[in-house]
Amino acid sequence: MIFASQPWSKASALWGPVSLAGVGLTHLLRWVIRRHGWLSLPPFALLGRVIAATLLMATASYLLTQALSQAVYGTPIAPITTAFYHRLSSTGQLRNLFIIILFVHAAWVAIYLAFAVQRHRYQAELHQAQLGRALQTAELRLLKSQLNPHFLFNALNGLRSLIADEPARARDAVTHLARALRYSLASGDEDLVSLERELEMVDDYLALESMRLADRLRVDRDIAPETRTVRIPAMLLQTLVENAIKHGIAALRPGGTVRITAQVVEMELILRVVNPRPDDTTNKTSVGVGLRNATERLRLLFGSRASLRLDLSQAGQATAEVRLPV
Amino acid sequence: MKALVVDDEPLARRELRRMLDAFPSVKVVGEAGNVDEARLRIEELSPDVVFLDIQMPGGSGFDLLTQLDRVPRIVFTTAYDQYAVKAFDVNALDYLLKPIEPERLATTLRKIQATPSHAATDAPLEQLFIRDGPRCWFVPLREVSVFTSEGNYVRLLWGKERPLLGRSLAALEVKLDPMRFFRANRSQVVNLDFIEQVELGEGGRLHVQMRDGPEIEVSRRQARLFRARSTVG
Repeated sequence: MIFASQPWSKASALWGPVSLAGVGLTHLLRWVIRRHGWLSLPPFALLGRVIAATLLMATASYLLTQALSQAVYGTPIAPITTAFYHRLSSTGQLRNLFIIILFVHAAWVAIYLAFAVQRHRYQAELHQAQLGRALQTAELRLLKSQLNPHFLFNALNGLRSLIADEPARARDAVTHLARALRYSLASGDEDLVSLERELEMVDDYLALESMRLADRLRVDRDIAPETRTVRIPAMLLQTLVENAIKHGIAALRPGGTVRITAQVVEMELILRVVNPRPDDTTNKTSVGVGLRNATERLRLLFGSRASLRLDLSQAGQATAEVRLPV
Repeated sequence: MKALVVDDEPLARRELRRMLDAFPSVKVVGEAGNVDEARLRIEELSPDVVFLDIQMPGGSGFDLLTQLDRVPRIVFTTAYDQYAVKAFDVNALDYLLKPIEPERLATTLRKIQATPSHAATDAPLEQLFIRDGPRCWFVPLREVSVFTSEGNYVRLLWGKERPLLGRSLAALEVKLDPMRFFRANRSQVVNLDFIEQVELGEGGRLHVQMRDGPEIEVSRRQARLFRARSTVG
């Protein structure tokens, strides 16, 4: 046995402090890595720092080993080195001692680093996923359509006029307005509602717009019975109808007919809102904020399985079409 | 005071009429439901004040104003788009938010009655409504120093602003006050109040230095008129 000639007490007087120093140095490295956020560094910046740190640590251990060996054995060359490399010169033995210490440190740092990096990456991914979910929720809330203030104040203005002349119609209008408002406010709680529920709200909305636009607004519905239970984003159909009135009916002096159809074809709900529009629409290319938000909401809720298209290819007519999975 | 109510919604017109009935000094002489009707009523009735909705089918209230030669006192009525009215902040226009509050209406009417009307139809033009891109102005013409022809349009030099007016210089010139504005050359009309200095140029031309503005050359033919005028005035 190579250690047989060495008394254990002397060996432990040398290797005990060296091991303790190694533990201390490793902790120091760990502290530096955390303190300076090395794990967030780009790969090569991290590699450079780690190599430099390992060299420093190995050098410190090497010098300590030499000093302790001198104190214990009276020679800087620790006996274990002599046992392995007794044929080499003392310089060669010292060099090999350094290489051994360097390897031990490098292996140790490498294992620690691999573990730390993996843990760091895992936490970052977890954090990213949480962020993504929070962002999606916030986006959905932001995109949630609400009743247009312009519509609300116009409705109130019409109502004010009705109170004196036609109190019965004024009372009806208050009911419609209250129901539309309540629906709009509650739509913040739920992402999806049945088409049936949405249609009730659209009726209230249309009743109020009729008060304002009188006989300029006409409505034609064709709703297939099997579509009524399909769940759609709240305020989606309302947005389409509002758009049809704002850019179509209200912009035309004689007004026109808004046609709303719903059908299920091959497991897909197809909602269409068709309306006449002025021929010389100057901002043909710009899609309103309402429709853009509705498109974005559909994307967040259904991904690529849903779509919203505004077709202006026919002169004097606009068709908004939504398709979503049943 | 003659008032015209312009709004595409019958209920809104009815309500405003009713509110105006409470003011004995105001007489609603008519109403209009779109821009073309409004233009006809204004030309036919020459109201002192027009209550004007901004969003209407077939053109906005702003479109109406750009079509008018002589713009009466305007009070915008709008449900929500203050932003559209804010474009006018430079000129501090009147606007009322619908549903209109009776107190606000009373304040606005008092303000209008306190300022003199310029409704006389044969008097020279005193102000112009100009829309240039997204910006709108009521431009008091006595504050404009130079009108420069740009094709079929006219560029105004008005303080720091350079708004473009959608009509020709020839059409505008006949409506300007001849005591204040003078045709300097083929493409420019200057405001005499803004002339700082006049120098003689070659061949009977004149060089006119405008206050805070460019130097304008007065053509030979116009220079003779200019001199004749200066000696008379």
